[in-house]
Amino acid sequence: MKKQKFVATLVLSLGLLATMSGCHHRPTTTTVIPDSGRPSSGATNPGANGENPGATLNPTPPVEVTPNNLSGTPESYGAFDNLFAGAHNEDRDKFKGDTLYFDFDSAVIKPSEETKLQDLAAYFKGNQKLEALVIEGNCDERGTEKYNLSLGERRALAAREYLGTLGVDAHRIKTVTYGTSRPAEAGHDEAAWKKNRRDEFVLITPK
Amino acid sequence: MSTLVKISAIIATALCALSALADETLEIRKDAARLIRVSVAGFAGEAESVLKFDLSVLGMEITTPENAEFLVGGHDNGHVEGTLAAAGNRPLWSRSYAGGSARSQAHAFANDIVKEIRQTAPIFQTRIAFRQQSGAANEICVADYDGANAQMITHDGALISGPSWAPGGQKIFYTSWKSGDTQILEHNLASGARRLFAGYPGANFSPEVSPDGQRVAMILSKGGSPNLYVSAIDGGGLKQLTLTREEDSSPCWSPDSRTICFVCRSGRARLQTISADGGSAHNLAVTGVFGNMTSPDWSPDGQQIAFTTGSGLFSICVVPSAGGQAQKLVEGEDPCWAPNSRTIIFTRRASTRRILCLLDVPTKHVKDVRQLTGSCSEPSWAR
Repeated sequence: MKKQKFVATLVLSLGLLATMSGCHHRPTTTTVIPDSGRPSSGATNPGANGENPGATLNPTPPVEVTPNNLSGTPESYGAFDNLFAGAHNEDRDKFKGDTLYFDFDSAVIKPSEETKLQDLAAYFKGNQKLEALVIEGNCDERGTEKYNLSLGERRALAAREYLGTLGVDAHRIKTVTYGTSRPAEAGHDEAAWKKNRRDEFVLITPK
Repeated sequence: MSTLVKISAIIATALCALSALADETLEIRKDAARLIRVSVAGFAGEAESVLKFDLSVLGMEITTPENAEFLVGGHDNGHVEGTLAAAGNRPLWSRSYAGGSARSQAHAFANDIVKEIRQTAPIFQTRIAFRQQSGAANEICVADYDGANAQMITHDGALISGPSWAPGGQKIFYTSWKSGDTQILEHNLASGARRLFAGYPGANFSPEVSPDGQRVAMILSKGGSPNLYVSAIDGGGLKQLTLTREEDSSPCWSPDSRTICFVCRSGRARLQTISADGGSAHNLAVTGVFGNMTSPDWSPDGQQIAFTTGSGLFSICVVPSAGGQAQKLVEGEDPCWAPNSRTIIFTRRASTRRILCLLDVPTKHVKDVRQLTGSCSEPSWAR
């Protein structure tokens, strides 16, 4: 009687442990790949369990806003719309000597650079001709692409703001950022970098 | 009686050993940060290289069967048949794959292996988009996550930047200079059709589609500074979210599409969050790293934000999405999370070109995407 009970317990334990260790063979299954000509994205939907702790747990206070004290970019370039949009000449030589240089990671117009902007302002002030300006903002390579697009645009806008204070009509000026994609110098040292942190000025005239 | 006791003692010991092995396998699987040793046998050519690459991307070290904790076996005679066993040749399962290409069958097998060992969502049949530069030309390409089957989708011969997938993998948004200005274009992959999504006066760049596919975040300078804006997916309902003079850049979305994390350069470049419906921006409290913090990307599971730190020498970092201690992982920039919230694709600057790399966050294991030519950067992972 004892022996039978012992054997029964043993057999039961054997069965249990065998199941737990998973050493029985599972059958082969076939996975069919959909032949869409393109692999599926295989993305799982994060919406179901996407947590957003950033919105509910916000230990830091709201950021103080330094208001943008500009008049802003005009909704259109007014009298200069057609000039910018249509066929026109781009003169990169006219204001080559006025290429504006910036310190690293900065969009501040340095006092030493201000005379260049005064030159430009003098050209456009009272200028009745259908002529306009494109300011191209550039950065050195020591930033990520998206960051440099913003910094380049900030540099171009800084020059436009300054020209505005000198009386140049904002409708006359367009800004374009190139980030780090149009270096003036190809090197990987400060000698090259300082030449790349710049605004270039392009004179736009009708064809 | 004593013989029976001896036999049952032997059996009991054997069973204990077996269940201990099962526990050990469980322990291996639970430790996300552990490099797991795997052997791959029976395959050749493309199937073998795909299997080995995929498994190493998920922090597995390919080794000999004697040293392996898991053994991958099978063959590819017409179609892939695969087996997975644990150390000691304990079979776990065998599967057969049909349809598609040999490559996609091998990826499907690798997905199943990773699901078993890492318990993460499958990523080996997903796609990426990126910017490719060859000489003076810049174009947008899409490819398999490992760089295979790469196709150029633009042919403008103009500067181009920042591809961003809409969820569902059918559309890509990017910034183009082909008009002479920066404009955001929406590109339908199936038809090749493009439309102008944002072409306001000033700059239009860095589009990012919300995970629910309803909205687009972008940087526009039409208000006088490069600021954060949000619109509906059709471009309507444009709303300006930030008003600062300091420039903003690189927005990314929380997985529930309610919050945007972005960079504001006030003093140095720092990470901020703002409700996509508007309101005040908040600094993300990040400790442990210094200098500029740029190019954030929010993990699909909501837990972490990856970002780039540095100026000149860059590092990929992760921080808990509510803020906290950041962890520097590897040298590189512009991280983008895979759908599994474990793998990150990023860019590394090599001497003559930029290279896309795949990072396994818990193990910090990195694999270059060597299949791609030219200088490749700004990757976006279809999610």
